[in-house]
Amino acid sequence: MRRADLIRVGVFVLAAVALFLLPRFISDFRAQQFAYVGIYFIALLGLNLLTGITGQISLGHGAFMLIGGYTTAILMSNQDPPLEFFGHAFTNDMRDIWTIPIAGLVAGLVGFLFGFPALRLTGLYLALATFAIAVAAPAVVKKFDGLSGGGGGINIFEVETRTRPVETTDPVTFETISEPIKILGLEIQSFNEWLYYLCWTLAMVMFGVAWLLLRGRFGRTLRAVRDSELAAASSGVNLARYKTFAFGISAFYAGVAGSLLAIATTFVNPDTFPIALSIFLLVGVVVGGLGSLWPLVFGAVFIHFMQIEWAQRVEGVIPDFVPILGDIDTDAPGAPAVAFGVVLILIMLAFPGGAAGLIRTLRSLTTRGYDRVR
Amino acid sequence: MRSPRLVLSALLLAGAIATGATAASSADPGITAKTILLGGTSPLSGPASAYASVARGANAYFKYANSRGGVNGRTITYTYVDDAYNPAQTIQATKQLVEQDKVFAIFNSLGTEQNEAIRPYLNQAKVPQLFIASGATTFGHDFKQYPWTIGFQPSYRAEGWIYGKYLARAKPGAKVAVLLQNDAYGKDLLAGLKQGIARSKVKVIAAEPYEVTATDVQSQIAKLKSSGANVLALFATPRFAIQSYVFANRLGWRPLIVNNAVSSASNIMTLASEGGTNKAVENSISIVFLKDPTDAKWRNDAAMKLYRSIMSRHAKGANVKDVYHVYGMAVAYETVKVLKAAGKNLTRAGLMAQTRKLNDASNPFLLPGIAIKTSATERFPIEQALLQRWSKGSWTSFGGLWGYRAG
Repeated sequence: MRRADLIRVGVFVLAAVALFLLPRFISDFRAQQFAYVGIYFIALLGLNLLTGITGQISLGHGAFMLIGGYTTAILMSNQDPPLEFFGHAFTNDMRDIWTIPIAGLVAGLVGFLFGFPALRLTGLYLALATFAIAVAAPAVVKKFDGLSGGGGGINIFEVETRTRPVETTDPVTFETISEPIKILGLEIQSFNEWLYYLCWTLAMVMFGVAWLLLRGRFGRTLRAVRDSELAAASSGVNLARYKTFAFGISAFYAGVAGSLLAIATTFVNPDTFPIALSIFLLVGVVVGGLGSLWPLVFGAVFIHFMQIEWAQRVEGVIPDFVPILGDIDTDAPGAPAVAFGVVLILIMLAFPGGAAGLIRTLRSLTTRGYDRVR
Repeated sequence: MRSPRLVLSALLLAGAIATGATAASSADPGITAKTILLGGTSPLSGPASAYASVARGANAYFKYANSRGGVNGRTITYTYVDDAYNPAQTIQATKQLVEQDKVFAIFNSLGTEQNEAIRPYLNQAKVPQLFIASGATTFGHDFKQYPWTIGFQPSYRAEGWIYGKYLARAKPGAKVAVLLQNDAYGKDLLAGLKQGIARSKVKVIAAEPYEVTATDVQSQIAKLKSSGANVLALFATPRFAIQSYVFANRLGWRPLIVNNAVSSASNIMTLASEGGTNKAVENSISIVFLKDPTDAKWRNDAAMKLYRSIMSRHAKGANVKDVYHVYGMAVAYETVKVLKAAGKNLTRAGLMAQTRKLNDASNPFLLPGIAIKTSATERFPIEQALLQRWSKGSWTSFGGLWGYRAG
């Protein structure tokens, strides 16, 4: 191992420890919000592998998350008719965590297959084709309403197979006793905390896998495809193989993220994965920095908090001291969306390279000239 | 500390503080000596953002109520957040309201699927899901499984039933064609209609469902026309209701059109009339339970004067003609009343107990005579409505109140 890699592994371990300890310092609710950040981080890692590294734009990753989310929800809750695969009938008997890899594989397979028609498309045309999946997926789901619950979706809040602290009432004292979640010898008291650890454990593992994949030959090849397909092909790169693989891996990440989203929200319906989600994911990758890995965390923070929290409290986002804006009616219809757009434009103006670009700039200020060239 | 007396008094003081602290923390979340915190979701953005006026109207009324002394010495803060009409966001926003903002109750959250999505969570957490803005029958029907949930507006089943009863009386032998949204809302209305026409000569001879995601309903309307029906019932959201009027007119079909309350706001009817050229809208029938701010009948009505003054003071710039603001005020009025009745020692359980024995005919924003009633076994607050007819650009109500009776 090179010295730089040793430092990276050290930082990774430190980050893991910090993530492990974080829930002790934040409220239970914040832990849940950071769990969502972890989920988006996984999805962004996957999308970035495809768009940032391999140069294939996808406006349809929400659809791969949908596949993952529905796979999990159906495996956890389906009763009638039982789903039979490989001689095993899945009738409401699969624990949530075991559905995660299956959700990833199903989405990955669909992504891999989608990679074939995508081979013929480049640039804008590919963006449009992927966008079409994002548009079509919710409607397709509604078609199979026997399995998917149609527009009403599937509520897995009350499903037995969901991991959660079990509350029972003591027959003598009538007090509510909460049985903690037990995993690997640890006892976790709240669902939100459990969710946090689940999401971030997977996020760290999948981050590590992405890093390992991209640091060697495979990553170099994908970057070559991005920079010039012609040059890559003439150096002996099998374009079809690498592009379909990139689609497959990327969709696997999205599938895992979708599965976690279903577990976290305890509910899926077609609107859980709207067209806007696909666009937000791309926004997250750009805010994090195209082609980067760990700075994507900032993209994940941005899309989660911007969507859920900051845009809600528009007064806080648009400061009063900007006189040009005048007296803004923050209660007006569409105000959150406008706030989101304005903030996004400001960020892109200030940091065109996203968080990764900002970090590079800061680093180049502190290091010597010859390092800057890198 | 030298003297034992000092130690003793110190201990007593500490004990007093400790008991004081526990007494304060034993109250339900969202309640302080001076405030009551309510929270809810509203589609401030997204496809249903027209309904955002419901939350704004309610908020304006709470501000008015606070300016008049609030509820038993407490003022109401109503935090409504955007869910973009997306149930997944409804869940996240609701969890935020309950777990972070620590609201006393979830109030007036809008949408059928949105409320179905949060119902198990709120019931497990024992947080009131108060006066849901959806008419789906399940919210009133399934109270045994979900005792912390209660609706407000007439259920879709009751609405369909009223149309059925009216047709049985006014158009015996009518052949009815139905366009319905393919979900609980459309099916509830159709079931109510069928219940209303039972034992009469009126028959539903065709029913065409459409998906929410559909782009238009042209083929459904063509099929319904070819069925030979002379009544068309539109159990559809505004966009599809407008399309139905337009397509029926183009096909030269002139049935009596029954249009559900979801799509019967005056501005929607005006759009459907295509600038007065589309005569298919004339004589449409719908139900109404609120005082319509565009109806000349209420121009000098005390409640509508109050409505306009509240709007001008607490919802500056909002469209006063929007009937959804009136809906918001009606539900906020009832909430203030229920909170008052629940007393100074306000608890979540105490609030729900009040919602099980509503009997109030005084809500000034509802049509005169409409009583809000519930009991231990009956959880549909509003079950009465008037019928109204669209003529020359406005609605006119006719006949007496219709009250839904199950069975």
